[in-house]
Amino acid sequence: MAATPQDMLGARLPRKEDLRLVTGTGKYLADILLPGMLHAVFVRSEYAHARIRGIDTSEALALHGVVAVYTGIDFKDTVKPMPQPVVQPNLPARYPTFWPLAIDKVKHHGEPVALVIARDKYVAVDAAELVVVDYEELTPVLDPERALEDGSPLVHEEDGSNEIFAMTLTGGLTEEEQQRNADAVERIFQGADIVVKERFRVHRTGITPMEPRGVLCDWNDADGLTAWITTQRPHIDRLALIDLLDIPGEQVRVIAPRDQGGGFGVKAPFYRENLAIAYAARALKRPVRWIESRYESLMNVGQERDQVNYLEVAARKDGKLLALRNRGVADNGVGTTGVYWGFVMPFLGAVEMPNAYTWEAGDVRLRVATTNKASLTPSRAFGHFPTRFAIERAVDMVARRVGMEPSALRRMNLVPSLPYTSVTNEYYDSGDFLRVWDNLMAQVDLPAFRAEQAAARAAGRYLGIGFGCGVELSGVASELLVPMENQPGYGAATVRLDPRGKVLVFGGDAPGGQGHETTTAQVVASLFGIQASDVVVTTGDTGTTPFGSGSIGARAGSYFVSAVAEACGELKDKITRILAHDLQIEASVQHFEFKNGEVVYLGDRSKRKSFRDAVERIIMFPINMPEGEVGGLEYTAFFEAAKPMICFNADCCIVEVNVDTGDFEIRRWVTSEDVGTVINPNIVDGQMHGAIVQGLSNAMFEEFVYDERGQQMSADFEHYKLATAADVPDIEITYATTPCPHTPLGTRGIGEGRPSSVPGALTNAVCDALAPFGIEIAELPLRPNLVWRKLREARGEG
Amino acid sequence: MPVVKLTVNGTRYEEEVPERLLLVDFLRERLALTGTHVGCTFEGVCGACTIHLDGEAVKSCLMLAVQADGHEITTIEGLAGDTLTPLQAAFREHHSLQCGFCTPGILMNMSDFLRENPDPSEDEIRRGLVGNLCRCTGYVHIVRAVKDAARRMRGEA
Repeated sequence: MAATPQDMLGARLPRKEDLRLVTGTGKYLADILLPGMLHAVFVRSEYAHARIRGIDTSEALALHGVVAVYTGIDFKDTVKPMPQPVVQPNLPARYPTFWPLAIDKVKHHGEPVALVIARDKYVAVDAAELVVVDYEELTPVLDPERALEDGSPLVHEEDGSNEIFAMTLTGGLTEEEQQRNADAVERIFQGADIVVKERFRVHRTGITPMEPRGVLCDWNDADGLTAWITTQRPHIDRLALIDLLDIPGEQVRVIAPRDQGGGFGVKAPFYRENLAIAYAARALKRPVRWIESRYESLMNVGQERDQVNYLEVAARKDGKLLALRNRGVADNGVGTTGVYWGFVMPFLGAVEMPNAYTWEAGDVRLRVATTNKASLTPSRAFGHFPTRFAIERAVDMVARRVGMEPSALRRMNLVPSLPYTSVTNEYYDSGDFLRVWDNLMAQVDLPAFRAEQAAARAAGRYLGIGFGCGVELSGVASELLVPMENQPGYGAATVRLDPRGKVLVFGGDAPGGQGHETTTAQVVASLFGIQASDVVVTTGDTGTTPFGSGSIGARAGSYFVSAVAEACGELKDKITRILAHDLQIEASVQHFEFKNGEVVYLGDRSKRKSFRDAVERIIMFPINMPEGEVGGLEYTAFFEAAKPMICFNADCCIVEVNVDTGDFEIRRWVTSEDVGTVINPNIVDGQMHGAIVQGLSNAMFEEFVYDERGQQMSADFEHYKLATAADVPDIEITYATTPCPHTPLGTRGIGEGRPSSVPGALTNAVCDALAPFGIEIAELPLRPNLVWRKLREARGEG
Repeated sequence: MPVVKLTVNGTRYEEEVPERLLLVDFLRERLALTGTHVGCTFEGVCGACTIHLDGEAVKSCLMLAVQADGHEITTIEGLAGDTLTPLQAAFREHHSLQCGFCTPGILMNMSDFLRENPDPSEDEIRRGLVGNLCRCTGYVHIVRAVKDAARRMRGEA
């Protein structure tokens, strides 16, 4: 029995997307074939840092079936270089200038050097092998801290420095205010009972979607460019193609395929490869397709985190946190990625460092160093995976110093009531952190665990419990997104009613598996009192959808569905105005109920009309209308919250550590979540499961490794290990929700930041288990070899 | 060029193919069976290209098309008849997929797995899944669906 429309909000509805996806009939980018389509393969740098002395493409061009071979110089005068305003944040930084392919110098292993286009993809691969590049190897810049020292070789010589970005966050807006606040922080440290000081290191890892990137561009002189791109941001990509290729706007259409194999931030930047393929399609007047190999993907994208944080925390001996002071150094990689340039992630990570705790003051500084590695690309938990790890570990260290349960110390320091502005000026709009925390603690019998732990220790077994929590962005308000990425934060949706009573929704963001078709349909169905199956959702096509900045930062549950709800509200207004006129009653929308496919006048329930008839009358028979009304039912709404919004979550993890081998096993993972009003609990559960396992996989397994020459050693799934089903535990998700007062349905955007509290909770659990040895771990990845080494050191065997 | 004769989803094909053509490319590009996906550089780790070769789950990126000569292949497009299999239905019901890119490979692997393990424990299911990477779900709902499908296929409520 299908859920009634009124139950739609909150229903565990099977997804609309799934029927095609479980039968192999989804359409991903690589499934689109155009007649006459050519295949592109990039020749990529074998060196981390080298001068290009020459490129010989003659043998490749001579191969039968090869259509064109481009090198960097072909783009120099025909394509504008990045940065251009459309892909450049409003943050002061040393933005490197670059073209689609390397010119003169390669700056990371895997950088595109030449582009081969052939009729057959096997031939394109053969030809790529025949391109001969003469390199003169240069000393690579690989250590971010050394990169910032005087005399370091430079990645981008014209910049005169490897420091791409730096900033100071003390809550002050001018230099004088910042200094005054920094001095105040220093005074707090001098008077504090407890100071915890540690160097926290998080390795280079990120989120690798199962579908690599891809671009398919088609050109004809009449219509211009149609570009199918694996992207979270089709509208931004369109603007970038217009500006960089100098094509008139009416001649560019970007389509994100309806089915995309995950994004997680990796498909949010504007990439140089997109530009190269669009250029080639225009030059050749043929469809050209590039499908990224996994090898290329792991060489170039999905790399994030990678940061050292020198964190100091001042606290009182009763456990009250007083001040934090952090000096962060992030490894930006080369920075040649539009929109983000690498440093935008550590920027936000520094802003988010104070997390959910009340601090009297903070002094958070960040320096970001360019190196000869792939550019950082956004990865779910955008920027704050390393800072969250540092703060969550430091909180446990304070608890151990003052002899408190870490969970009690956390509760004592959580922001007790919202709204609240953090010491780094981040605004937390709403929610109830204490309720979320208390719900988590209700899932865990802590005294019983401590008893079990003591008994186990007596028997030589080491159990540990760890906690963590996280404030996460629920969408990104224009107030933050304009300075951060030079883009608007509003959500936009067009809702179009069909004469047969069906509803078509159009959104400019481009999801990659989050279930937008289903959640949007549930929202529309609940508002119009119809079935979710009567709703069709189109996303990601700039030719048909209103402008949206993209599927980023948990925008769907916060901004997009809010725009949908507002558009539905406008249409309900119109439907009831005209229905009241037809029924010859004085009534407006609040006097009507949209239920079970009908619009019913509450003053006299016999006065009713089927939704379909009411809609058809306005679209198809617009005569005898009220004065001033015209026919038609379509509305585009733009939703912008007055202030940034958040969601909040908390984790508890129980582990057992083998103190002989360093092996550890996660025995339980339980969470508590404030996600606001839930549209589809299945989908929210799934978001949380996935995010937590991504956090675990990043923390325990995945690591991008560069050798001393900057060679990327982890460019396949044998060496870049993702968690498998056998590596991770079952996960218990529980909820303690507070509807968001700033969205029409009380929903919050969820899932984006969710992995960030995971590494702290996990490492806290392992350190809790190892407390008898006095072991504190301040680095990731957390693997048995590290635990074993720490155990040996603690036992004096190291 | 060699000629391969094979049956795919019940249809017989006789095709000239280059020796080096991967089976996965043959299926996707020659037969337009694009439900079989490619998620790694043919290192055989991701499992998105898993199909059935004579009823047994194999990774089609680790085989050449010529090696399939004389064999019978089922792809994700051929898994369901008129209705979804209990496993496919369970994946929908339990929200066991998000982006869906890994899903065809997991369904092909697990339908073979369930034939051999009609009553698997959670641990066995998790170990049975190690040849398939999923980035979205954290595997929780996948494990749940496989367990539920096994129960239904055994005729239990």
